[in-house]
Amino acid sequence: MKFFKVVLVVLFLAVPLLASAEKAKTIDELAKMYDSSSCKACHAEIYAQWEQSHHARPLMGVKGGLMLTPLALKKGEPGSTAFSEDSPEKMKISNFPCFKCHLPQAIISAEDSVAVELAKALQAKDSAKVAKLQITCIVCHNTKAIIHKRELGEPEKGVLYSTKEVKEHGDSTFKTVKKSAIMNNSVYCGQCHGLGPNLEFDQAFQCANLYGSYLHNYVSGGGTQSCQDCHMKKGDHLIPPNFNDDKQTSELLASALSLDVETLGYDWLRKAATYTPKIVVMTKITSKAGHRIPDG
Amino acid sequence: MVVTAKTADGKEIGKEERHYHPQATNCRDKKEKYGAQWKVANIRDTSIQPFQAKKETIEFHLPEGVRSAEITVDLFYEDVNPDNKYPIHTIKKTVSLDM
Repeated sequence: MKFFKVVLVVLFLAVPLLASAEKAKTIDELAKMYDSSSCKACHAEIYAQWEQSHHARPLMGVKGGLMLTPLALKKGEPGSTAFSEDSPEKMKISNFPCFKCHLPQAIISAEDSVAVELAKALQAKDSAKVAKLQITCIVCHNTKAIIHKRELGEPEKGVLYSTKEVKEHGDSTFKTVKKSAIMNNSVYCGQCHGLGPNLEFDQAFQCANLYGSYLHNYVSGGGTQSCQDCHMKKGDHLIPPNFNDDKQTSELLASALSLDVETLGYDWLRKAATYTPKIVVMTKITSKAGHRIPDG
Repeated sequence: MVVTAKTADGKEIGKEERHYHPQATNCRDKKEKYGAQWKVANIRDTSIQPFQAKKETIEFHLPEGVRSAEITVDLFYEDVNPDNKYPIHTIKKTVSLDM
């Protein structure tokens, strides 16, 4: 009986420790936990595309920005937000609601100490440290791969999910690839490229509306293409646009939007013998995109 | 989108802008907010939507003695701030009132 009690006490103490041990305490630990660099050996082209993508720099904003900085500012300081605290030491994962999409692995795999370290890095403008936090292959091909969890369960450890099943996947950690139910469906992208206000948080906020626009303006108008059809042609993991590439972004926008201009010049007669020279410019912009522009 | 009218010697005689984008507030005041951390919901949306052409009619009255103008229509995308522009289309037309 005494032995049984000891076992129970040990289990009682050990279980939370084990659970805690599974979570990253530092940015480096979190980055390592979701490190996908081993994918590069066999998927070099896809990996190179991803490296140029916004998914590879989800906390960096456009052209070297650090988009989460306002959250890390001291509460009350100009530019700070409702999520800011008096000190970076007080920051928790919940102070970064943007993690919902910009770093989903932090919600399930990071201790609050990661939020503290990130807040300090943002205040110090330590881009190199912030850049370690990425939406890696594992995030999309495991963490975010299942939305029917009541039916299909949580994403399994050691399993990747993709558009095709691969029974023997040559990786020491991820030995199999299961077919995802949603990875070629727009709803997969819609998990993050959102519907509108995020009302599930204690302080509502709004980021992307893109999927809402897709559903309510494109699908409702008869559109049948998926996000992947247009933004992942031939499996392109750059998933354009890449706003750090001006030329490519301009070309993509030009392919989606057309502009027609007609003009008319004449002498306008408002009252007898009083002419006003007038030019009328008529513009028409039409879109081939499956969502509003701009959005994200 | 910026539409400008200039005389043959380059003097600007008219300029009109149209802005196409969703506009959100925090729903606690009437000020538009920029940045997801401050926005709560759109109050107006002038963005370019699928299957919905954006049509504009812009008129310029020419100064006395001016009988033609160079019209330029610039369509561009602004990201983060107005200084970060991605050109999309530029169309120029010369319009004369004389036959």
